[in-house]
Amino acid sequence: MMDAARRETVKGWSFIAPTLLWTVAFFVVPFAIMAVMSLWKRIGGKIVQTWSLDNYVAFFGKSHLLKAMLNSLEVTVLVTLISILLAYPLAWIIAERVPQRWQRLALILAILPFWTSYVVRSYAWLLVLARNGVINQALLGIGIIDEPLELASTRTATVIGFVHFFVMLLTLTIYANLVQLGPNYRRAAADLGANGLQVFWYVLLPLTLPGIMVGAFLTFVLCIGDYITPQILGGNNELLLPQVIMLQIGRRADLPTAAALSILLMAVVTLAYVLCARWLRLERA
Amino acid sequence: MKDRKPNNIVKRGLRASALALLAGGLMSTMASAADELNALVWCDHTDPGLIKPFEDKHGVKINLKDYEGTGTALSLIEQSQPGDWDVFVVDGIDVPRVVDAGILAPLPADKLPTGDLFPELVMAENHTRDGKVYAISEKFGYNTISYNKEKVDPADMNDMSVIWSDKYKGRIAVYDYYLPVMGMVQMGLGKKTAGLNAGDLGAIKDKLFKMKSVSKLVGDVVASQTAIATGEVDILVGGGEWVTAALTEENPALDWTIPEQGGVRWSQSIGVFADSKKKDLALKFVQYILSPEGQARLATSSCYWAMPANSKAGSHLTDKQKAALRWSEQKAYLARAQLYPAPSTELDAKMQDVWTEFLQQ
Amino acid sequence: MRRLTTLGLSGYLAAVYAFIYLPVIVLVLFSFQSGRFPIPPLNGPSLRWYEAVLSDSRLTDALLNSLLVASISSAVACLLGFIAAYALARYKLPGTGFQRALITAPLTVSYLIIGLGLLITFNMAGVSRSLLTVGVGHVVINTPLCFAILYSLMGDHQINIERAARDLGANDLEVMAYVTAPMLMPGIIAAFFLSVTFSWDEFIIAFLLSRFDNTLPVEIWSLLRSGLNPKTNAVGSLVFLVSIVMVLFMEIIVFRKVIRR
Repeated sequence: MMDAARRETVKGWSFIAPTLLWTVAFFVVPFAIMAVMSLWKRIGGKIVQTWSLDNYVAFFGKSHLLKAMLNSLEVTVLVTLISILLAYPLAWIIAERVPQRWQRLALILAILPFWTSYVVRSYAWLLVLARNGVINQALLGIGIIDEPLELASTRTATVIGFVHFFVMLLTLTIYANLVQLGPNYRRAAADLGANGLQVFWYVLLPLTLPGIMVGAFLTFVLCIGDYITPQILGGNNELLLPQVIMLQIGRRADLPTAAALSILLMAVVTLAYVLCARWLRLERA
Repeated sequence: MKDRKPNNIVKRGLRASALALLAGGLMSTMASAADELNALVWCDHTDPGLIKPFEDKHGVKINLKDYEGTGTALSLIEQSQPGDWDVFVVDGIDVPRVVDAGILAPLPADKLPTGDLFPELVMAENHTRDGKVYAISEKFGYNTISYNKEKVDPADMNDMSVIWSDKYKGRIAVYDYYLPVMGMVQMGLGKKTAGLNAGDLGAIKDKLFKMKSVSKLVGDVVASQTAIATGEVDILVGGGEWVTAALTEENPALDWTIPEQGGVRWSQSIGVFADSKKKDLALKFVQYILSPEGQARLATSSCYWAMPANSKAGSHLTDKQKAALRWSEQKAYLARAQLYPAPSTELDAKMQDVWTEFLQQ
Repeated sequence: MRRLTTLGLSGYLAAVYAFIYLPVIVLVLFSFQSGRFPIPPLNGPSLRWYEAVLSDSRLTDALLNSLLVASISSAVACLLGFIAAYALARYKLPGTGFQRALITAPLTVSYLIIGLGLLITFNMAGVSRSLLTVGVGHVVINTPLCFAILYSLMGDHQINIERAARDLGANDLEVMAYVTAPMLMPGIIAAFFLSVTFSWDEFIIAFLLSRFDNTLPVEIWSLLRSGLNPKTNAVGSLVFLVSIVMVLFMEIIVFRKVIRR
C-alpha cells in the first residue's frame, strides 16, 4: 500500500515522462552522439573511430576555419546591436505615442513581413540591393549617386538581411515589455520632475533591460546559427561558421568535422548565455 | 495501482518510441514500393516535361532528389540506407570513383545505344571496368566563360587569363564549383587538367586568390546566373551554354565562348545502383533518357540546357533549339575541350581546402 | 517643440516601416513581371508566373507537405508541452528546476546543430529520411516553446476548480483533459499557431532530414538553386498571402477571445 504523497509523485512522473523521454531521445542522445563523433575522423572516404582531438586542432590550425568563427561573431554582434537600436524606438513609439486603439494594428503591421517565407525574404533583399536593383535605380534616378553602390554580395547585404528579420522580432519582445510595465513608472518619474531623456535613461531603460537582454540573446542564437541569409546575400565573399559546417556536410561528407564545428558553435552560444544570465543577475542584485 | 510503477512508465515510453521508429521504417518502405523509382540526379532531370512521359507510360512514380557536385551526392548516399536509391546521374569523370566504391551495378551493354553517341562521349575508359559497362553518357557541355558582349570586349574572352586580370575588376562572378574552375585555372596556366596533381596546387591557389580579388561574387547556379542576367557582373567564370542558352531569348547580349587554351568539358553519366531492388525498371528509365526523344527533352529541360550525348537526338530538336545549343559547332568545341580534373580522394580533400580558403579570402 | 518631436517620431516610424516593407513590396511587384529578369523596368503586369507555380506539382506537393508537417508536429509539441507543464505545475517532483531546464534546453541551441545531431543519429539507427524525421525535428524545436508558454499560464487560480472536479470524482487524467485543458485553451491555441508558424518556415532541419518529400522552404531553396526563375517571386508572394490570412484569422478569432476573457 503506497501512501498518498508517493502516489502523487508517481502520477506526476507519469505525466512528465513522455516529454522527458522525447527530449532525451531526440535531443540529448543526438547531441551526445554528435559530441562523440566530433572525436572521430574522416580518412580516405571512410569515417574512422580515432578518438582524437584532431578536428578541434584543425579548427585552430586552419586559418579559414578560425576566420569563419570570427566572421560569425562579428556579424552576429553587429546585427544584435543594430537591431536593438532600431527596434527599441519603434517599440517605444508604438507603445507610448500611438493612440491605444491603433496600437495593435501598428504592432501587427510592424511584424507582418515576418511571415514571408524566410528563404524568399533573403532572395528579395538580393533583388533590392542588386547593382541594377530598386535602391540603386532610385538613388541614381534622384541623382544622389553617379555610380551604382556595391551592396549585394557583401557583408553589408548579409547584415541588412539579418537586421530586417530581427528588428521585427525585437520590436515584438520590447513592445511586450513596455506594455507590461504600464505608464505608471513614467508618470511617477515625470511628477518628480524628470525630463523625457531622464525618464528614459533612469527609469524605462533599466526596467526594460531584462527584456532587451532576452531578446538580444534570442537574436544571437538565431543569427549565429543561420545558413540561408549569408549564403544568399553574402555572395561567398566570406564564409560564416554555418556555411562552413554545411560545406562539410554537403560537399565532403565529413560529419566528424561538422560535428566538431557545431560543438564549438554551441560553446560560443553557451558562453553568451552564461554572460547574459550572469549580467542579468548582477543587475537585479 | 500496481501497474503505475515508474519503470513501467519508462517501458511504455520506450514502447511508444519504438512504435514511432517502426512507423518511420514503414513509411520509408512504403516510399520504395514496387511502382516507384528513386533517382539521385542533377536538377535538369526534375523537369516534369522530361519525367512525366515516362511516368505515364509505365504507370510509375519517379522520386527525384537533386544535388550539385559529386561530393554532395556521395555524402547523400553515405547518409542513406542500402536500397534507398535506384538511378544515379553523376559526372562522367567521377564514374570510376563511384564504381570503385561499389555503388553502381553493371548494365547490359547490348541494351544501350552506345553506338549512337558522339564518339568523344563514349568514354569507355570511364564507363567500362573489366569488360562490364557501369554507366553511359547522357548530356554534356562546357564550363568556360559566359559574358555580356555589350559590356566587354569579346576578343578579350579568347584568352583564359582574362579571369584573373584587372581589366574587368569587380565585374566577374565565379561559379561555386571547385573542379571545373580549378580546371580552368590549370588550363589558363598552360597545363592539362588530366595531369593536375598536388604540385600544381600552389600555382592554382595563387591565381585563384588573384581571381577572388577581382571578382564580385562566387555563387551557385542561381546566384551566378542572376548576377550575369541582371547586370550585376559581365563575366561568369565557369559558365557556358548551360547558363546562357535559356536566357539569350530575353537578353541576346549574353554569349559564351571557349578560349584558345580550351574549356573544361563536363558530362553527365547515368547508371543503376548496385543495391537497387528495381533494376529492371531502373534500366527502362536509363533507356528512356538515352532514347532520342528523352535526349531532346533532357537537352532543353528547365533547369539548364546542354548538348545531348546521343547524336540522334538532333531530329527531335527544333532549329532554334539547335542554334542555342550550337549543335553544328560541337566538332570544333569537342576538339579543344578537356575533361574535368579527376583527383584522388586525398587530392580532392586538398583541393576542397584550397577552395574553402579561396571563398574565405 | 512638441510638434517637432511628433514630426521626428513620425518620420522615424515611416522610415522603419519602409525598411521593413521594402523587400516585400519588391517581391510582390516583380512577381507580376512578365519577363524572366527580376530587375527594373517592370513590364507586365502578368500572372504568368503564378500559373507556373500553381501548375508545378513539386511546389504544390511541397505546400501540402509543409501544412501536414506543421500541423501534426505542432499538435504533438503542444501535447508534450502541455502534459509536462501540467506535471511540473501541479505535482511535487524532485529536481523540478533541472527538468524545466532540460525541457527548455533546445530553445538555446541553433537549429543547425539540432538538425545535424538528428541526421547523425538517424543515420546510425538506420532510419531513412522522410517527412516523419522532419516532423520529429520540428517537435524537438517546438515542444520547449509550447511548454514555456503553457507553464507560464498555469497559475494557482485554476487549482481550486481542479480540486472541485476531483472532489466530484474525476480522476487525474479526466481533470487534465476536461478541466485544465479547456481553461487553458486560448493559450494552447496560441502555442499551437506559434509552433505552426515556426515549423512552416523552418529550413535547415527540414533540409537535412528530408529526402523526396520536401517541405515548402526546402523546395523554394531548390528552385532558387536551379537557375534564375521568377516563380520564386510568385511562390513567395503566395506564401505571404496565405500567412497574412492565417495571422489575421488568429488575430480576429483567437486573440480577441483571449482579450475578452
